[in-house]
This record gives sequence, C-alpha cells and structure tokens, in this order.
Amino acid sequence: MTDRASFLAAIRSTPRGLDPGLPDRREAPDAPTQLRAGEERPDRLQAEAEAASTIVHRVTAVDVGATVASVLVQADAQRIALTTDLAPFADDVQAALVAAGLTVTDYVEVAPDRARAGALDATVTGCIAAVAATGSVVTSAAGAGRAGALIAPTHICVVRDEQIVGGLHELFDGDALAEAGSLFALQSGPSRSADIEKVLILGVHGPGNVHLIIVAPD
Amino acid sequence: MSATREDVGGTPLPPGWAKPAHQPDAFELTTTTFAERAAKTMARPFARGAIANATDHAAALTTARFVGTDHEALREEARKIRAHAIANLPDYLDQWIDQAERKGTIVHYAADESEARRIVAQICTDQQITRVVKSKSMASEEVSLNSALEAVGVDIYETDLGEFVVQAMGDRPGHVIAPILHRTKDEVHELFSAMAGHELPNEAEALTAFAREGLRHAFLTADAGISGGNFLIAETGDVLLVTNEGNGRLTTSLPPIHIALVGIEKVLPRRRDLAVLLPLLTGHGTGQQITTYVSVSAGPRRQGEPDGPEQMHVVLLDAGRSALLGGEFEEALHCIRCGACQNVCPVYRQVGGHAYGWVYGGPIGAVLTPLFRGQEEAGELAQATTLCGACDDVCPVKIPLHDLLLNLRRRSDAEGHVPRHEQVAFALWAQVWSRPLLYRASTAVARGSLRALARNGVVSAKSPLLRRWTAGRDLVVGKRPR
Amino acid sequence: MPDDVGMTAAVQLFPTCIGDVVAQQTATDAERVLDALGIDHHRPSATTCCGQPAYNSGHDGPARAVAKATLKALDDGSDLPILVPSGSCTSMVRLHWRELFHGTPEAEAATRIARRVRELSSYLAEHTDALRELKPSLAVRVGYHDSCHMLRELRIKEAPREVLQTVAGLELVELDSSERCCGFGGTFSGRYPDVSVAMADTKIDDMVAAKIDVLVSSDPGCLMQLAGRMSRQGTPVRAVHLATLMAEALA
Repeated sequence: MTDRASFLAAIRSTPRGLDPGLPDRREAPDAPTQLRAGEERPDRLQAEAEAASTIVHRVTAVDVGATVASVLVQADAQRIALTTDLAPFADDVQAALVAAGLTVTDYVEVAPDRARAGALDATVTGCIAAVAATGSVVTSAAGAGRAGALIAPTHICVVRDEQIVGGLHELFDGDALAEAGSLFALQSGPSRSADIEKVLILGVHGPGNVHLIIVAPD
Repeated sequence: MSATREDVGGTPLPPGWAKPAHQPDAFELTTTTFAERAAKTMARPFARGAIANATDHAAALTTARFVGTDHEALREEARKIRAHAIANLPDYLDQWIDQAERKGTIVHYAADESEARRIVAQICTDQQITRVVKSKSMASEEVSLNSALEAVGVDIYETDLGEFVVQAMGDRPGHVIAPILHRTKDEVHELFSAMAGHELPNEAEALTAFAREGLRHAFLTADAGISGGNFLIAETGDVLLVTNEGNGRLTTSLPPIHIALVGIEKVLPRRRDLAVLLPLLTGHGTGQQITTYVSVSAGPRRQGEPDGPEQMHVVLLDAGRSALLGGEFEEALHCIRCGACQNVCPVYRQVGGHAYGWVYGGPIGAVLTPLFRGQEEAGELAQATTLCGACDDVCPVKIPLHDLLLNLRRRSDAEGHVPRHEQVAFALWAQVWSRPLLYRASTAVARGSLRALARNGVVSAKSPLLRRWTAGRDLVVGKRPR
Repeated sequence: MPDDVGMTAAVQLFPTCIGDVVAQQTATDAERVLDALGIDHHRPSATTCCGQPAYNSGHDGPARAVAKATLKALDDGSDLPILVPSGSCTSMVRLHWRELFHGTPEAEAATRIARRVRELSSYLAEHTDALRELKPSLAVRVGYHDSCHMLRELRIKEAPREVLQTVAGLELVELDSSERCCGFGGTFSGRYPDVSVAMADTKIDDMVAAKIDVLVSSDPGCLMQLAGRMSRQGTPVRAVHLATLMAEALA
C-alpha cells in the first residue's frame, strides 16, 4: 500500500514546471457570476433565480408564514419538515402551517431515518447566504443539513435581504461560510437533466418545485 | 439484507438490470484502430446527427454565456491559477491532506489504477458494503472501478441519468458531460420498458421518472456513496462536486459512508479561486451560469448536524499524472474536464467519444489517452485530428492542445512508434524535395501523371497511390466544366 | 544566393507545393491580380515546400531538410514581402520555422523570412482602394471558408472579406460553418479518408443550404478537399481560391 510519504515523495521527485504565481485578486477580471455596476442585489437574485426556473416571492417579514403556507397548500404537501436555519421565521411559519391545517416536523427529527426523510413532500429551509449573480441559495450542513434542500419534491428557501451577496468573489471572500460545518452548498433552481436528447426535465433526483422567498429589510 | 431495508419508498430495480461492468483490460483501444471505432459511430446516422446537434448547441450556449464579459481575462486568470496549482502540486496536496484529515476525512493513496481499485474494494469489504450509489466520475471510469466492486459482491447504481443508461446498456459514456449524447430517446425507451416489465410512455419526462423511482430506492438503501470530485481546495480540505440532477449531493449525504475518488491534479489553492474556475467550468461545460448543485464538503457529519455520512474517505489518484509534471505535457494536467474542446472539435463531431477507445474523447482525450495509456497503445490518437486549433480557442484554462498534439506526434517519431512505411516515405520525400532540381522534376512528373489520369480536369481513378484520396473525393487539377 | 532575383520586383511570390502540383492556376491568378494593381512581382525559381506535411506529422528532420531548400530560395538578401497564396503555408513559415530551425545555422535566416512572409489576401486588403478603382465585377453569390491556420494562428478573418467586397455584383454570404475545419488536415485526409470526407460533407451541406454559387478560400489544401468532394458528388458549387475569383472579376 502506498502511504502519504511515498505518494508525495514520488510527486516531489518530478521536475518543477513554470509557475506564473497566483494572480492578484484585486485585479480579478469580470465574470458573468459577478454583480454588474448599478444592479440591486435582490433584483439580480430574483432575475437569475427566475431564469433558473425558481419561483421567487418578495415579501416583508410578517408575510413569510402565509407565503410558505400558500405554496405548500398549492403543492398539496402533506409531510413537511423545517430545518433549524429557518430560525428567525420558524415560529411564524409553524403557526401559519398549523392554521392552514398542515402538520409539520423538524428535519432534525426526520433526517436520521432515511426512509422518513425520503418520504417528505416538502422542506422549508433558511440559508447562510444567497448569491445574486448566480441566483443561488447557499445552505450549510449545520443549518439545512446536507440533503435538507433537495430531499423532497418541493423546497422553499427563505433568505433575508442582508444575506444576499453580489457574486461568487463576495461569497468566498466574506465570512458567510465560516460556520457552515462539514458542507456548504449552492443550489440554483430545480434539479434538472437534459441527458435524453437534450430535452430539459425538471425534478430528477432533487426537487422540481423550488421557491425562493426574499424578505425585504424592515 | 432485511426486508425492512427494502421497504423505504421508491421502486427497487429488477435484479440483473445492470450489465456486468467492463474489466480493466477491456478498453477498445487495445483491440481496434481509431478508424474502425469511428466507422461504428458513423454507420449510425442518428448518432452522428445527435452528436453534431448536441455539441453545436453546447458550444453556442458557451459562447453566449460570456458575451459582454472579459472572457479572455477570465481565462487567463484561470490559466495562471491552474498553472500555479500544478507547479506547486506536492505542496498543495500536502496542505489539502492536512486540512482534510483535521476535519476527519480518511485519505488513501492510489499510485496507479489497480491500487485505486484495491483500496475502494477493501473499504467495501471492511465496512460490509453491499450496495453503492455512484455519482458520475470519470476517474472511476479510468480505473474501471465498478468491476473491482462487483468482484467483492457490491451492487452498483450509477445515479446520473446518463450514466444509469450507460450502465444498464453495458455501454461506455460518450462525452465527459453528456454521457448518452450518442443515444436516442427510443433506445432509452426500449431499455427502460424492458427493465420495468411493461411499456413506458416514450417521453423524456416519463423515462426520467422511471429512473428516479428506481434510483430513489437505491439512495435510501445504499451502504455507501461513491463520487469523483471536480476540485480539491488545499486551504480548507474541501472536495467540490457539481451536478444538475442532485444525485451528487444525495450520493454524498444519504448513505453512511462517502468515498470520493479524485485525481491529484484537481487541487486548487483557495476557495476564492472557485470564483474564477467555477463559472468557467459550468459556462464551458453546459453553458450554465452555474450548475444547479455545487456541493463543497470536508469530512464526515459533525456533531449537531442533522444528516450526512459517518465516514468520509478520499482516494487520491495519481495513475500517470505525476509523470507529466515538469515536462512538455504538464499543461494537460490543467484540464478541468468541462468538455468544451469536445463540443467544438470537428472530428469528435463526426465520430463521437467511443472512437477514442478509452475514457476521454475529443482533443483532450487524444492528448490524455496516449499520456496515460502509453504511446504504443494509444499514440495513434494524436494523428486523429486535423490540428485545426478550435480546441485551443475554447479551452477555459487555455491548454495549448494543438501544441500538445503536435508534440505527441513528435514523440511518436522520436520513440520509433511510427510505421516503417511512413518513415520511409518521409525520408524519401525529404531526399527529393530538399533538392530544387529533383523537386522540379518530381512535380513535373506528378503534374504529367495527373493530366494523364484526368478526364475533364478531374482525376477520379482509384489508382493505388491515390486510393485513399479518391475513394471519396476527386482531385480537381484543371478548371472544372461548369 | 540565387542568381535569378527580380531586381525590379516589389513583392516575391511563393507558389507552395500544392500550387506547383495541383493548383498551378492559383499563383498565375495571383500574378494577374498583382499585374492589374501594377505591383511588380517575382517568383524565386528554387522554392519547394515549406515542410509542413512532415512538421505536422511530427517528423522534424525531413521537415527541416525540405524547408531549408525553400528558405535558401527565399532568402535573397532583399526585404521584399513574400506573398503566399496559402494561410497554412504562411503560418508554417511565419510562426513555426523559427522553432524548426532553432539552434541550426539557418536560425537567423528563418527569422528574417518569417518577418517577410505575408498571406496573400491580407496583403491585397491593404490595396482595396486601388482594387476598387479597377472596378472588379462579378455577379455571384459567394461564401467564404476560413481556413484553420489562417484564422486561428495568423488571426486573419476580415482581410479576405474586405478584398471580396471590392467586387461589384458580388454578394458575400456568411456561412454558419465558415470557421469549421473542412477535414483536410494534410496527412489526416489520407489517414482517415472517411472521417475527412464526412467533415467536408457538413461544410458542403451548409453551402448548398446557403445557395451560394462559389466557395472562396485562401488555402489550396482546403480547396483541394472541398472541390474534390463536390466534384465527386456533383454539387453545383465552384470552389476557388480568392486569387482566382479576383482575377476573374478583374478580367
């Protein structure tokens, strides 16, 4: 068996190629995944998310619960789980769902049993950030869990205005990822495949019905 | 296996649905020539049309994606990052291993293909793994991993829709991003209907739903998930995985054990480098701003996290990579497997991925295959290109594929792998054409012979010397009658 | 130094080996266009081939031996532009000879010649005003094929189009596949004839769909490929060199 020392020694024994040095980040070139001058973050987030077939709702804090309830009623979701990163809105959402006659569980309770997690109709999660220029929400293992955002056919993610970063540079240079735990993940719209003759199918292994609720600042 | 394990949702696939995995020595490369393999695809008109359409479509999406941005500057930045990472590969790998182990990842070292097979099979045996879900991994294709797992009694489920079809057909992926580019909906319909035991609707949506149900059951019951990795981040010990279907994340989240097989060249220094590489990988791969799922994990589930594997293993794969460091082919290691060079290659467009005989098709395949499999077995691939340079212009990390292909041809010559008749022909040619008088005489003879052969200014005779030209073409030597 | 230097010439012309064997008309037509423009020209008598067939097959030794003959023929002590009616051969001399002759006694001369060679259409594009005054005219629908080395190594894309657009009555159509390789690829066309022909066919389908009368290119290799395939198929599209089309328009 090759061990670390011999494995690396073999690589180290090779001649060294030309090193142009790491480029200076301050002069990073433009990418489509950056915010453009004059763009408002929530607007770009909405545009990009919608371009990726996410259904976007822009609400104030008081309407989060009702919005979640109406989406789930419309989706006819029976088995619904909330993740812990929904915290600022969890009580409101819970109340609204109960008022709508829906029963709710905590993802933390369901997740250890794969069969139960796999049988969920919908999950409602928060996030640790959203990326405006890619239309993505960023979830963490510590919050939404690894699979919380994609285990069920419907996923609703709630993002607060101040959680939105402009582009990928801002995401990776900022501190949003610091407490993510064993995984952070970007998801941008419904699960999709075009493997069969380029026909786009939404909802392959992950959700086909994806909602993003952007909560305006108070 | 208990009955309760099976009763979880989804619909189990029928026993024996998967064709036996290919053995490590079963690559067509060893038994056939490029021309023979190309002929097979070219004999299927639909496959050719599908390949051409799909690659044109993807290439157009890539072009559109970067309109209005400084694409060239972004590519140059990416080139520098990749060149820097590869020039300092041992240091960054060392750093990655430190960070990954600190976060609880168990790191394994595979010097070659057979060691990679042994390591993963051993983990399966040790952990009593009998069912594995797999997310698309070209590295696992390189080492023929599935056959090693079958040998220790593991059932494998390829979960990428395209790879699932490939596995059920006993085929091989035809493209690094779009594995069943060369297959029709009708073929998938026939295949899935046979698996289902009844006629399914012949629509992509229904066919996808069938695969989802079968694979959902596998996700919920598998003992381990096996993935590749698109990048390793040295500063944090991360493994990054991009998918669109979500199968990558489910593979690495639901089963109690995650095993990733990753080539050592996939290392990037920092997370912030992703801000440059990720849009290029996805923009050049599928034309997307970003793929639907980007998952970045380091280590197994931690205290307080609701889900995730209890063990995370990463198998670092060398298998011919370190041998390229510091040499004239080092830039081949910069490749991020986006498939863009396949999409613009006029040869790939005609012949598809299988013609290349191994794992990678198109220009990067014509470079990597001879480098990884040896000149003797695969040197021919460097000839199977017109050196048109379209690949150079599209590569997101600016690999000089044209130069690498030319250098491979030179190496073939230097190492004596060129057929004797070709060497003799070029030596003779040089003797004559390096002397202006002989040159003039020879061209006069050639002109005279062509004139003698020509009818109305056109040579179409299948004379032995011209046979390879005139089989499908004329030689127009004068003004063609209108 | 060859003794046949054209003392009054303003440019030299290197006809290339394909020009010497199958496409003699190309150099003749190039000379007719230069004549019309009043540009003195001269063909060095001892040129052979630029060495590309061997170079691109990885046989640097034979390539160097052959290229050396042409180098000697071209290196006449003048600094006249050397016009080449082939993007591919221009790119070989201009970009690859330096590497081919690196470390040999010919290194300096190779650099000298590399600076002098000009692809024909890019030279003519500097004379579009003069061309227009000559009132070239031809009522044809034309498509242009960008040859790979000219487009991607020399980065010449607009020049031939600018030259064609001096012709009254000529309608220039942009083909969807104008930048895609025709499948010639030098020795590739003989190694993989079926793939090569299939590649030509996708270009030809595009030309037929675009209903062009004439396909114009600046590379005799591509023209040999496309004209040869169209002749075999009976496709009603002529494939001619830019020099030929211009000579006809000026006649």
